Amino acid sequence: MLRELSLNAFQKALDSCLKEHVDFIVVSGDLFHSNIPDMGVVNQAVMKMKEVRDKGINIYVIYGSHDFSPNETSIVDILSSAGLFQKIVKGEVSNDKLKLEFFTDPKTEAKLVGISGRTLGLEKEYYEILDREFLEKEKGFKIFAFHTALDELKPASLAQMESMPVSNLPKGFDYYAGGHVHVKMEKKLQGYGAIRYPGTLFGYNFRDLEQNAEGEKPGLFIVSFDDDVEDVRFVDAPVCEYLKFEYDVSNKNSTKANEELVDKVKKSSVKGKLVLLRVSGELSGGKTSDIDFTQLREILLHKGAIYANINRYALSSKEYSSIRVEGKDVHEVETKLLRENIGAIKVTEPMLKGENGISLAVDLLGVLRHDKKTTEEKKDYNERMMRESLETLDLTEAME
Amino acid sequence: MSTCGQIIAGQFGKILIREKSGEKIELGDLLVVEDGEGLVLLQVYDLFYGSQISQVARELIAGMKLEGLGASMEFLEPQLRNYVLAECKAVLHISKEQKIPKMLPDFFGTVRHVSKKDLEFLSIPENPIYLGKIRSGSKIIDIEVYLNGLDALTHHILIPSTTGRGKSNLVKVMLCSVLGQGKFGILVLDPHDEYYGRTGKGLKDHPKARDNLRYYSTNPLVGTNTLVVNLKSIEPRHLEGVIPLSDAQEHAVRLYKAEYGDGWIESIVKGEEVKGVDPRTLTVLQRIMRASLSIYLEDDEIVCRNRVFSDTAGESTVIDIVKSLENGKIVVIDTSKLGDEAELLIGSIIANDVLFRYQDYKSEGKLAEKVPISIVIEEVPRVLGADRLADVGDNVYSKTAREGRKFKVGLIAITQLVSVIPRDILTNLNTKIIMGNEMSPERHALIDSSAQDLSDDDRNIASLDRGEAIVSSIFTKFAIPLKIPLFEDYLESCSKSVEKRSKTVFVG
Repeated sequence: MLRELSLNAFQKALDSCLKEHVDFIVVSGDLFHSNIPDMGVVNQAVMKMKEVRDKGINIYVIYGSHDFSPNETSIVDILSSAGLFQKIVKGEVSNDKLKLEFFTDPKTEAKLVGISGRTLGLEKEYYEILDREFLEKEKGFKIFAFHTALDELKPASLAQMESMPVSNLPKGFDYYAGGHVHVKMEKKLQGYGAIRYPGTLFGYNFRDLEQNAEGEKPGLFIVSFDDDVEDVRFVDAPVCEYLKFEYDVSNKNSTKANEELVDKVKKSSVKGKLVLLRVSGELSGGKTSDIDFTQLREILLHKGAIYANINRYALSSKEYSSIRVEGKDVHEVETKLLRENIGAIKVTEPMLKGENGISLAVDLLGVLRHDKKTTEEKKDYNERMMRESLETLDLTEAME
Repeated sequence: MSTCGQIIAGQFGKILIREKSGEKIELGDLLVVEDGEGLVLLQVYDLFYGSQISQVARELIAGMKLEGLGASMEFLEPQLRNYVLAECKAVLHISKEQKIPKMLPDFFGTVRHVSKKDLEFLSIPENPIYLGKIRSGSKIIDIEVYLNGLDALTHHILIPSTTGRGKSNLVKVMLCSVLGQGKFGILVLDPHDEYYGRTGKGLKDHPKARDNLRYYSTNPLVGTNTLVVNLKSIEPRHLEGVIPLSDAQEHAVRLYKAEYGDGWIESIVKGEEVKGVDPRTLTVLQRIMRASLSIYLEDDEIVCRNRVFSDTAGESTVIDIVKSLENGKIVVIDTSKLGDEAELLIGSIIANDVLFRYQDYKSEGKLAEKVPISIVIEEVPRVLGADRLADVGDNVYSKTAREGRKFKVGLIAITQLVSVIPRDILTNLNTKIIMGNEMSPERHALIDSSAQDLSDDDRNIASLDRGEAIVSSIFTKFAIPLKIPLFEDYLESCSKSVEKRSKTVFVG
């Protein structure tokens, strides 16, 4: 269902572009959740993009940290080769400087260029050797697409996110199309044109959905320009209604908590909504498994919820408190556990130490969490897991 | 090493040595006399002339020579009759262990200059911070001097010196030494933008700068951070001791905070009213925001003239800086374009956060695994001066000076004026790297608060040349005379054993 909603969001966004009669679309990475995504999803997305292309609207993309592979062909490469969209990342390193090539949109003559995202923020190396002077002196209306959070602009809630200083960006572009950050941001900094992050169109994890439930509207930016940016307007593209509720089990035993939760969900009005239930706190008695979350989910779906997601990472019980880590979601819990224990592991490789090590471990866990696809052979799945793991660890070249 | 003198008289703490003719004993020289069990290390703190000829006779002879009446007159056996006397004190007894001497060295013992071999007991400590090489007078002995970083940083360091003696060079050498290790977090408030190396050599040129150095400036270089702090990061307690407020103003600030939460400053600047706050008090607070933080309202938008404070950007700046410090990085903050109050406020925000977190770690039993954090602050009387503290009250820097040691948070305080710092704070600054100071009251304030007895070193301190220093610390056996290398030379030595980075391959 989430996949379907995500696809709906994408289709709705492209419909908005058609309605607004845009000249072109810029996608700042993570068009797909992985470099080889589900083919059913790809098929639906391609159909929509083709509709847009057939109406004369060009699509310009860069890779993101999820849909990029340094050593394998990704779906983005295939679709780009098929002419569905244009990758605007092209360059070469010469005399230790990375010289990027501009792409000119034929309709508007806008000049586009970008740097893709990579895992663990490895794209920062490209910014270190970027030939900025070349980019900055180019005349005309310029757009820079990038897939990185910026230190100065990320919100406090994303302080732990890998990011880079804004000074890494070439100056003097008219518009900076940001990706990777799942929060809408519109910022201004001296020396730079409009910097915009549209956020996610739907959501990738519980936190994204929670943001939507709390009022964050997913959508896209429509930018009007001539010689300069004249207007930047955000267009919502919601695909469903949300209902979020929280329940604190503190000072309650598991039996009482279960009863109250069942009562609460039975009384809730969830028809046609995506429901998020966060259960947290420490049970005064009983086990966390005494709470029948399966039943709760069934009740919600039976009452007409289109999807129900129950977050219980911050739930614990007195009787079983050997490991106590609180966190809003899987990512936060994993990060905290790793942060608490990484100091106990002796390694010499800098990438495995401190925050680098934690980020790497979290990313690796994320890769290993991928399910086998229904049409995938076991052998192919094993090879894919190995390959993606090595890519995450940046060991592919060493292993060849 | 040949004999350079002989002990001829004196008492404990004032040993008199006659200099051998042809040998030159200097102020600050380290001399050695052997006894049955080892060596006694002596330090020269005064020099004067001695003569077998009475003063009257010498005056007459000089007068005759000067007036041309005795051109051919010479002293008979001049090397025996006229000589130099050196006053020394015994600073260390070196045998299997090093101890503070409690006996006089042998009477009439012969004395020689110290050699490298004599000082080999000075080993490199754990967590070393490099300072320079041992100095004997003006001569450099090839023995390197280090501080134990964990001890020295958490027990605070004072660098007192007048202008032009090389204190910035010293701090750069120390930071350079720390940069390669990643074991200490050091926050540098840099009012002259001289540490990073915006123009010329600086910390940015260290081979480990990419991993262990962060630079924040309102005019950042490529790859460095913009110094921008969100107004929501500022709490009323950050203003304590930094921006003076009257009781009424403090009360008003508390009411705004209670009403508007993180948006309390924005509300003041926008002129939003709060029950219980007199409009005149609000006007004064707006004036204070404008004068101290350069924040005001223009066309309904909040503007910061120095671009440091913002209502839209910089939400995670303080979090990022503290995280970098906790990860053992050096964070340099270019405050050269900021007023005093803005600079101190930024330091106060970060220091408060650091102290707060480390207090928490201590209560959770996690402090042992955390790196020590130190704050480098120049012109320290601005925050530690007795008058300042009396007028405005304690601030996070004075709290750190008094209590930070318990939480592994320290200060590296740089100042020209020591005498204005209260004694109870001065005595907490347990390592003093004393550079040249021609002001007598300042020297006396230092001497009075030092870890070793420097009561005889007034002249020594006054005669310290550029790049020379004396390290007096509770962690050193004696007050060590130092020669600090030029930062550029030291940087080169740090860069020698570095692997070249592999080329970046661009994959689009």
